[in-house]
Amino acid sequence: MPPMTQSLFQPVLTGRHEGLGAKFAAFGGWRMPVEYAGGGVLREHAAVREAVGMFDVSHLGTVTVRGRPAVDYLNRCLSNDLDRVADGQAQYTLCCDDAGGIVDDLIVYRCAEDEVLCVPNAANAAAVVARLAGDAPAGVEVVDRHTEYAIIAVQGPRSADLLLAAGLPAGHGYLSFVRADDVVVCRSGYTGEHGYELIAPVRIAGGLWDRLLAAGAPMGVLPCGLGARDTLRTEMGYPLHGQDLSREISPLQAGLGWAVGWDKPEFWGRRALLAERAAGPRRRAIGLETLARAVPRPGMTVSAGPPGSSGAATMGVVTSGTFSPSRRVGIALTLLDADAGWRVGDEVSLDVRARPVRSRLVKPPFVPSRVR
Amino acid sequence: MSVVPEDFRYTSEHEWVAGREAEPTYRVGVTDFAQQSLGDVVFIQLPDAGTPVTAGQVLGEVESTKSVSEVYSPVSGEVVAVNDALADRPELVNSDPYGEGWLVEIQAPPGGDIPELLDAPAYRELIAPA
Repeated sequence: MPPMTQSLFQPVLTGRHEGLGAKFAAFGGWRMPVEYAGGGVLREHAAVREAVGMFDVSHLGTVTVRGRPAVDYLNRCLSNDLDRVADGQAQYTLCCDDAGGIVDDLIVYRCAEDEVLCVPNAANAAAVVARLAGDAPAGVEVVDRHTEYAIIAVQGPRSADLLLAAGLPAGHGYLSFVRADDVVVCRSGYTGEHGYELIAPVRIAGGLWDRLLAAGAPMGVLPCGLGARDTLRTEMGYPLHGQDLSREISPLQAGLGWAVGWDKPEFWGRRALLAERAAGPRRRAIGLETLARAVPRPGMTVSAGPPGSSGAATMGVVTSGTFSPSRRVGIALTLLDADAGWRVGDEVSLDVRARPVRSRLVKPPFVPSRVR
Repeated sequence: MSVVPEDFRYTSEHEWVAGREAEPTYRVGVTDFAQQSLGDVVFIQLPDAGTPVTAGQVLGEVESTKSVSEVYSPVSGEVVAVNDALADRPELVNSDPYGEGWLVEIQAPPGGDIPELLDAPAYRELIAPA
């Protein structure tokens, strides 16, 4: 087990982060960098949008599923269809419960028919492992490797240059991955920019971090914390489990029907989700941007019509909200009642601590995606 | 380390106050310690000039990307000036918290009751790591 403080896991790169003057916060049971000295959320955000940034995301889980029917088995558990992708490709998928609620969203790396690497969220890794291990047939082995691997995300328009300068492969396509020695290099990320996520055994993670940081220096690389990761992903409308996704929020409500293999004969939550699809989800996720100066925060309510509309009822709630550094407006992901009769483009009122703020419903992303 | 200028006075809520009883207008801002804790400031909500304020009551809000913090009025009186530059440049609170990042000026009534404020050494002690 790695060292812990106050029962929090510490990533293997903690010493590097402390040397870079990071501020830390607890996230999903891990003590992670939020921002770095000389950076700050806005500078780190700008580095990723305009040049390149590096994140330690080792709080993310790593779970290997091995054995003859590994792909078949995961296809009977997770929502997306692993047969839509080939070996060497990664896929976004969901782990649902029987009621169709989202236990976690995760990326699965299809290494081979008999080997898949799953990357769940920090706080849900144990639950995903328990479910996968609990149902596994003879011949399928599910192993939690959370503390055996570090994950470093390199994100931004200069990320390919950085990897090449560090002697790593960078030319592969979106959501495909290659191995370079012991490092898995995947064309993926959580920022909306061209980027890579590198999965490395902890024993070589420190050297890899140093090598990437040195290679990126001429490109203006900044180490980036979870603060910028959150503003970047919110600008893209990417959901965060625990806020925008939960056991109480179904894939259909969250707008993630595309990550469900509806034609598959079996996956966890299938019956409930088919019923919900037939009836129509009672809530739907949609973006919101403020038209006056204000910062939306989770839990704030949204009402129909501009502020002051008579008899405007609450339509729903903000699940993620922040200030968009790129757009310089307040942005939010919301979950609104489907029968409230709203449409994209509608003006609505956001309740900011009893102050009604004129806002508009918009379809994310708030900033154009450049992942490909 | 946080900067704590000697010639200002402070509240335990991390506001600073410039001005003395002899001059009834007090300039108010948030401390270097406060801006470091907040992170990048992106939005500031302040009362209009002419608004009466009460010591210890909420004066406004300072928001960073991560969170919102209330600012409390260190003195009672009337807001007579607001730092309009912050509407377009909220980052001044981070870059120059005791100078260009000031928030408001409050005029206290003559002979008005000024609550107890911390001097620089006392505030330094308050924010010293345990």
